[in-house]
Amino acid sequence: MKVFLDLGWFFKQEKKSYIVGVFLLLLVALLQLVPPKIIGVIADDINEGTLTFGLLVEWMFVLIAVGLAMYVLRYYWRIMIFGSAVKLSKILRKRLYHHFTNMSPAFYQKSRIGDLMAHATNDLSAIQQTAGSGILTLVDSLSTGGFVIIAMAFTISWKLTLICLIPMPFMALLTSWFGTMLHRSFYKAQEAFSSLNDKTQESIMGIKVIKTFGQEQEDIEDFRKQSEDVVQKNMLVAKIDSLYDPTISIIVGISFFLAIVFGGRYVLNDELTIGQLISFTTYLGLLVWPMLAFGWLFNIVERGRASYDRVSALLRENVEIIDLENALEVVPCGDIEYRLVEFTYPGESRPILKDIYFSLSRGETLGIVGKTGSGKTTLLKLLIREFEGYQGEILFGGKRLADYKLDNLREAVGYVPQDHFLFSADIAQNIAFSNPNATMEQIEQAARLANIHEDILQFTDGYHTIVGERGVSLSGGQKQRISIARALLMNPEVLILDDSLSAVDAKTEEAILSSLKQNREGKTTIITSHRLSAIQHANQILVLEEGRIIERGTHKDLMEADGWYKNMYLHQQLEELVELGGQ
Amino acid sequence: MEEKIELSGREQRKVLFRLLSYTKPHKKIIAWAFLLLLLTTIGDIILPILVATFIDDYLQPRRLEFQPLLMLGSTYMGIQIIKSILLFFQLVKFQEIALHIIQQLRIDVFSKVQALGLKYFDNTPAGSIVSRVTNDTEAIKDMFETVISTFIQSGFLLIGIFITMFILNVKLALLCVIIIPILLFVMVLYRKWSSRFYLDMRERLSQLNAKLSESLQGMSIIQVFRQEKRLRKEFGDINEQHYNAGMKNIKIDGLLLRPAIDLIYIVALIIVLSYFGITSFTHTIQIGVIYAFINYLDRFFEPVNQMMMRLSLYQQAIVAGSRVFKLLDEQELAPVQNEDQPLSITEGKIKFKNVSFSYDGKRDVLKNISFTANPGETVALVGHTGSGKSSIINLMMRFYEFERGDILIDGHSIRDFSKDELREKMGLVLQDPFLFYGTIKDNIRLHHSSMTDQRVEEAAKFVQADTFIERLDDGYNHKVVERGSTFSSGQRQLIAFARTIAANPKILVLDEATANIDTETEEAIQTALAKMRKGRTTIAIAHRLSTIQDAELILVLHKGEIVERGTHQELLAYRGLYHKLFLLQNGAVEPLEDVVN
Repeated sequence: MKVFLDLGWFFKQEKKSYIVGVFLLLLVALLQLVPPKIIGVIADDINEGTLTFGLLVEWMFVLIAVGLAMYVLRYYWRIMIFGSAVKLSKILRKRLYHHFTNMSPAFYQKSRIGDLMAHATNDLSAIQQTAGSGILTLVDSLSTGGFVIIAMAFTISWKLTLICLIPMPFMALLTSWFGTMLHRSFYKAQEAFSSLNDKTQESIMGIKVIKTFGQEQEDIEDFRKQSEDVVQKNMLVAKIDSLYDPTISIIVGISFFLAIVFGGRYVLNDELTIGQLISFTTYLGLLVWPMLAFGWLFNIVERGRASYDRVSALLRENVEIIDLENALEVVPCGDIEYRLVEFTYPGESRPILKDIYFSLSRGETLGIVGKTGSGKTTLLKLLIREFEGYQGEILFGGKRLADYKLDNLREAVGYVPQDHFLFSADIAQNIAFSNPNATMEQIEQAARLANIHEDILQFTDGYHTIVGERGVSLSGGQKQRISIARALLMNPEVLILDDSLSAVDAKTEEAILSSLKQNREGKTTIITSHRLSAIQHANQILVLEEGRIIERGTHKDLMEADGWYKNMYLHQQLEELVELGGQ
Repeated sequence: MEEKIELSGREQRKVLFRLLSYTKPHKKIIAWAFLLLLLTTIGDIILPILVATFIDDYLQPRRLEFQPLLMLGSTYMGIQIIKSILLFFQLVKFQEIALHIIQQLRIDVFSKVQALGLKYFDNTPAGSIVSRVTNDTEAIKDMFETVISTFIQSGFLLIGIFITMFILNVKLALLCVIIIPILLFVMVLYRKWSSRFYLDMRERLSQLNAKLSESLQGMSIIQVFRQEKRLRKEFGDINEQHYNAGMKNIKIDGLLLRPAIDLIYIVALIIVLSYFGITSFTHTIQIGVIYAFINYLDRFFEPVNQMMMRLSLYQQAIVAGSRVFKLLDEQELAPVQNEDQPLSITEGKIKFKNVSFSYDGKRDVLKNISFTANPGETVALVGHTGSGKSSIINLMMRFYEFERGDILIDGHSIRDFSKDELREKMGLVLQDPFLFYGTIKDNIRLHHSSMTDQRVEEAAKFVQADTFIERLDDGYNHKVVERGSTFSSGQRQLIAFARTIAANPKILVLDEATANIDTETEEAIQTALAKMRKGRTTIAIAHRLSTIQDAELILVLHKGEIVERGTHQELLAYRGLYHKLFLLQNGAVEPLEDVVN
């Protein structure tokens, strides 16, 4: 029940809904007592021949009034209680999302997106259950159960009530126990299902191997076995699930039997009328639900608590990159200077960057080359403060990066990442990502600069073609160029192209680079690339290897130096020749 | 992602009937389930009659004979207990039927997937195929498990109750019939509204999840472009819409579900009580019958509630079913072999005769390819990415059907060999050696259950994979997890070699790995490759030219054509494309400079 305390803030916040909801629930619980009473009274009147037409009409009137009142009340408590529960999951979902947007890449490196999604879906729905059905079962089992027992004991016979209640607690116990077992076996069934899922996935990914070795039949057999396992595990669930109804049926049956046997005796002793006995059995019927609910309550609360703990833990994760107290609220500009002694990723022992010293004047272009894993991307990520905690300092316009507000720093930088991620929206929206209010001219201008305008016009819906996961599939080069256009729309102080020309052909690369040169007069550009042609015009080129700068200079300097750069350059020239068929 | 499917009423019924046809093989167990259902229903109906008898025949006239009362009491408890036990089995049986039906459906879908040609896999994301096999069938399971069995069970009980009411009192039963149209009306209304609102909520939920998942994937972009606030708002909007949809559902449920059914119960109660009341003015009434009627009314409405709550599942199952059937009806099948002739591959001579091929029917990726690989010889394919090397292997392995030209093995068209013969005599080593979940041994043996452990180990030894395997915990029983990501790519390659050698093929098709391989493993791989090729006709894609210098024939491909052919020395002397490729891999700076300039 601790989870109800944990959720106290929410109950307080929604106290009006909950107070009204619970009050309505109590009213319904009271009104529920009326129909069985009326049944008993009428049965007695008929039995004794005292029923008159007027009396009958009167009672029926009461009955319909009670029925209508319950209908209305039931409708409203649902809105109050279930509605609040939906609201809770809305609030928590919003908080989680807000929190996610504040977390830095280090957080995303250590968490799997699938897990985060699970928290935002499964856990929230378990919490919603607790705040809705949990409250309902708690209040309803106590109130309905209590009222019915009181009504039975005080208006009919307390002796009979006691006798007939004996089997009832077993029902609550058993259903709660079944609930735990059900949950456990359900979990196992889910596991079997997810391993069947994995098996299917694996077979589809490995379809070539399977076909090569002609093992289709065997693989189907294997699948059959695994699906059999799913059936077996689900059968266990089915069996436990099927225990509920018979158990209830037997226990209620026993209670009924006791009621009739002992009730019958009291009728004969004139302690009870037949009508009262009939009322009594109808009341017994009303007790089934509260007992069941009581059993469920424990299961709901148990799951809700586990989920709420997980979500709270997630929300408590610290935001790592934060603004200094008196951070500057200006957009940085000017020269960039790296004085980096060492940087190691959190949780790793080997430094990824070491002794990186260079300065880049405003308006210059810097080229960074090196093998995969040499630290090129990391070097850039430090500039946009995706990671911190390095030794040394990085200066922008003479001030350390952390002296600026993060928001302002990032306003100065247009970043084109290696993995060109596009959102499920149309092309125009993707290009205007940094500024949704950009005009169509601005968007087209950016697209032209990135040499993608013509391609876009070829699509059926032009700029309104939907891309991303659920849209048309674009080639890698097209995606890259849209990412470039997205960064160019900002017209940023510093433009970073992180190996973002890898999928475009040499001619397009040339075109983009020359349009950048014209358009970014006086602004800083940093380009990393595998292909040296992309950086050969840069004012300064750094060659990285295992996190250190091994060569530096202009293209001309480096070609004369006869080192890694020159070797690579010649290689790539030859590769180009080969691609063209050796001509 | 999933396309939205709109189904007309007729299509829905078609899907339903096709789903129901899956019950056919389970006739016997279904008959059992129905028998049990019949018995439990009878039990449900008899019990109130027993109590009514007690009230009318004993309690009211105050007849207290021990013997008959004991009989009555023990019959009551006996029936109660037997009924409850039968109820358990009946519930289990219905779920068992549902589970077996779904298992069969799953196996059918999976088998179908295995029979499809690779072309289908090129055009369909793996995730959506997996979803057809598992998630969609799961949705159908829900329908069989809850919707259909709830409807059958409730239907039985309702009919039983009505029959008994008619036996007890025809006039009153007739009066009670008027609540049926009311119930049906509420049901139809609910189905109409809820299916709309429920689907709307599902749609919002999937939007919400899609937005969340996309945001998580693209979070670094969002942050770098400082769009956190905007996306929070966008997410907030969808969240709000989802909330509103959720509230609408609560309202609809509140208006038409339990509260409404309970109100109808009160109406039915009024009918019954008024009838007895009014009749009592002129006739004597048996109190027991009142009791029985009221008891039946109590029992009548719970199944109705159950039925109403399941209605929304039905809609989902039908949509899922239509997607599954679409896959089952897919026509993009794997190439067919002529299975009639018992031809076998003896020599292993391979001949490509003017083969041209296109994946999409528009652009040819292979143009007029002709070459011969004599028994025991190696033919190497070289060329840069996209030159058509892999397509040659794809045709050779019968992954794709071709129309122009022919491939001959030992003088017969490749189509005339049975599938088993081809699979047995031809071994392919893929560039990305795919490892399955299981042990190393399983991965070498695959599903050849008759293969001995000894043969597995010999195969591993042959390709020199034994040294690293034996160093692992549990050796050959070492668990392979996460598709073998705990192994280096070289080690994975060696396991794949062993897998091929264990099957002892006559013809070897190699797609050499391009990934970084450490020098130690590299050597092992080279030796293994040389040993494997001995005595086997080999078609090899070589990325490292050093591995194929001894090949009898090297084909240099460019844009789907063979532009150069000959031995290593001949091609070097020719100083064409092969020469440049060779320099790229082995060249020192000076010769490079010469060529480039």
